[in-house]
Amino acid sequence: MAEIEYRAVYKAFDVPVLTGVDLKVASGETLSIVGPSGTGKSVLLKTTIGLIVPDDGDVLVDGQSVVDATSEQLQAIRRKAGYVFQNAALFDSMNVFENVSLGLLDDEIRALGRAEVLRRVSAALEDVNLEAEAVLSKLPSELSGGMRKRVGLARAIVGQPEILLYDEPVTGLDPINSAAVDRLISAIAERMHVTSIVVTHDIEGAMTISDRIALLEGGKLRFVGTPQEFRNSQEPLVRAFVDREAAFAAAAAKSEAGHEGMA
Amino acid sequence: MPRLLDPLAGVLRAIGRVGDSVFRHAGGMTLLTTRTAVDTLRGNVALRDFVDQAFSMGVQSLPLVMVTAILSGIVTSQQGGYQFTGSIPLYILGSVVTSSVVLELGPVLTAVVMIGRVGARITAELGTMQVSEQIDALYSLGRDPIPVLAAPRILAGMLVMPALVAIANGVGVVAGMVSAQATVGLGSQSFLYGARLFWHSYDLMYSLLKALAFGFVIPVISVHMGLLTRGGAEGVGRSTTASVVFMIIAVLVSDALFPPLFLN
Repeated sequence: MAEIEYRAVYKAFDVPVLTGVDLKVASGETLSIVGPSGTGKSVLLKTTIGLIVPDDGDVLVDGQSVVDATSEQLQAIRRKAGYVFQNAALFDSMNVFENVSLGLLDDEIRALGRAEVLRRVSAALEDVNLEAEAVLSKLPSELSGGMRKRVGLARAIVGQPEILLYDEPVTGLDPINSAAVDRLISAIAERMHVTSIVVTHDIEGAMTISDRIALLEGGKLRFVGTPQEFRNSQEPLVRAFVDREAAFAAAAAKSEAGHEGMA
Repeated sequence: MPRLLDPLAGVLRAIGRVGDSVFRHAGGMTLLTTRTAVDTLRGNVALRDFVDQAFSMGVQSLPLVMVTAILSGIVTSQQGGYQFTGSIPLYILGSVVTSSVVLELGPVLTAVVMIGRVGARITAELGTMQVSEQIDALYSLGRDPIPVLAAPRILAGMLVMPALVAIANGVGVVAGMVSAQATVGLGSQSFLYGARLFWHSYDLMYSLLKALAFGFVIPVISVHMGLLTRGGAEGVGRSTTASVVFMIIAVLVSDALFPPLFLN
């Protein structure tokens, strides 16, 4: 398990995106970051493993600075983390087995041998509720959106990381698949005792899977608290999020009832 | 008075912007080249990746390179034949065709084919990987894209280009010889006599040296531009277009620098 700390993280791309974010994520905790589009959620997530370097401030992973890390130290931080990208970011020319086995280091692959690598890749795929036999030889283009996300998740967990970073894991999925991915995130966090950070627009999912929720808006953290505190907060921005979600859930329930009535 | 200076300030700003951009790209490509060299010397480049790229760039480009070489030999021969008939001994045509193809047309036209067939593909491929976060995914998996993606392409370009140019030279000269026979009735013996008359063995080395330079420039620019891509499908289109323009300019400028550097 690993602890992550963001210290006054500042980043600008022409205009400021993050303007001094302070946040601590405890070992084994699942924290969801929510907020409007373009507010810097994914940028903050990418600073965790140095995919984006802050202009100012620092990110510490188990006390090790990401900003000042040597390339070896940065590699060590990255090896601790599994990153699930928004669109899975699978390699088009590689099949599922090759994509997932990339989560293991080359030295590891050589040391383990093909049979053990196959066993580990299959186990990771089974962990994300995919039938390994059926998908191992398939190319990403032959998979549905939900399956691609799961393969991306399998690639992130095959190396037994201590940290899992999810960038909008349910975006583009239907509600059933979204709920299934949310359940997977919770199950993996519990089974592997990982520290998880989930960037999401799905407030209902965030309420279910998170120990804490952080609201990022205008480059700053506006709220950090438990799902219960988030739901009960009177902060106008938080209310806007919660109420919109509640309105959507009510509309969905009404629509469902209407369909049942017609049936 | 300040208004009078506005156009001048505008011109200076534009020069500054272009200069800044040129130096940024030059710096980026120098860094890419250095890192490729270091990773190659450290043995970090997988042989399989290099062979795959060499096959794709070399073997799969061969038909198009040969068609281009045949046509360049035929055109040079026909044009020379038309100009020489009745004024210059026709066997000189052998020398003109051979020198034109080996010194200029073989390397440059092969480079143009490679820009269109290989350079544009590399930029679009790496650009798509960049905008779909596959490059970030490589970093997150503890892998450096330079030995995995950049180095195999650059090394393959440097190996394959001289081989393609050597083939293009041979094919172009033979096509010119056949065309001379067909159009102005110059026999192959006379054609080869003319070719040998002004031939320097250094010419071939010069041609292959050019090919090596183009084989380096094309993948370096295309990889660099691919890795710089931002902004979705539109960004991939923009960087691919810019990459092709840069490659053509770089090939033509280095082509113009070759005679003063190596032929005097």
